[in-house]
Amino acid sequence: MHGLEDNELVSRVISQQDTAAFGELVRRHQSQIRNFLRKLTREHALADDLAQDCFLHAWDKIHTFTGKGSFIGWMLKVAYTTFLQSKRKSSRYGEVLEQVGGESIADGSSSTVESDEITDLDRFLAVLTEEERAVMILSYACGLSHREIGDAAKLPVGTVKSIIYRGKEKIRESFEIEDHQYG
Amino acid sequence: MKSKIINMVERLKDKEDRMLESLFASESIADNGFSQKVVSRVRRRIWIQRLSLPIAFVVGGAIAVKPLSQFVAAMSKMFVFIPQSFSSRIESVPFDRLPPVSSIFIAATLVMVFLLVSRLLED
Repeated sequence: MHGLEDNELVSRVISQQDTAAFGELVRRHQSQIRNFLRKLTREHALADDLAQDCFLHAWDKIHTFTGKGSFIGWMLKVAYTTFLQSKRKSSRYGEVLEQVGGESIADGSSSTVESDEITDLDRFLAVLTEEERAVMILSYACGLSHREIGDAAKLPVGTVKSIIYRGKEKIRESFEIEDHQYG
Repeated sequence: MKSKIINMVERLKDKEDRMLESLFASESIADNGFSQKVVSRVRRRIWIQRLSLPIAFVVGGAIAVKPLSQFVAAMSKMFVFIPQSFSSRIESVPFDRLPPVSSIFIAATLVMVFLLVSRLLED
């Protein structure tokens, strides 16, 4: 099972409902999915709950994975959708973000809710909109291409590029970087 | 691989890029039973899906058998093409020995509660 490619494992899951193959996919990608959701929610317990739900949704929808892009790209799309659905259902996420935002404004810096330590990442995330936050995380934390981000966040590639441009502007303002150049 | 090449072309890194990458950099998260937990939830889901349909059939059938037989008996009196022997046979079935509908409901509720509690315990 360990030597198989992601696409082969997906084929096994679809054709045989192979839970061991699915378990291997979870084992391979759990770190990236949990990291993405932890950065998005800023709360580890909530993120891990969402990650479990995300993998259950993936189990239900795995037949829709066409194999055109990477499996992790598709999983991140499922994770982002799960996050948006849960946010609509629960006010818990809103409270967490308000807490982070409030601390950032009060201190001029920010924090992980989990540790009560204010980090530069929280400070930066607090000035971004939810959509910008997701795009920046998918780009810089998950290393997806603009096309993959567009696919995951259901945005045109041009919009993804302009969001990243805006994000960079904001980080320049937040961290007072003087000599900058855009590639 | 192709995606990584595209990524490199897309991003001629500047100061903000490097800062963002260092901001977002994170250690890999140890599994610590996470994947096992997900797989057991998936297996339980499969088990519940397989079990729920037969249970629904049994419970529904147990509830419906008495009124259905009464309905057939009544119809046989109205329509001559249903043989009298068939209707008399249905009337002779000892439906009184069947548990009452309330008991069937309680049993079904208990089964549901058991499934829910087992799910909660696993969670």
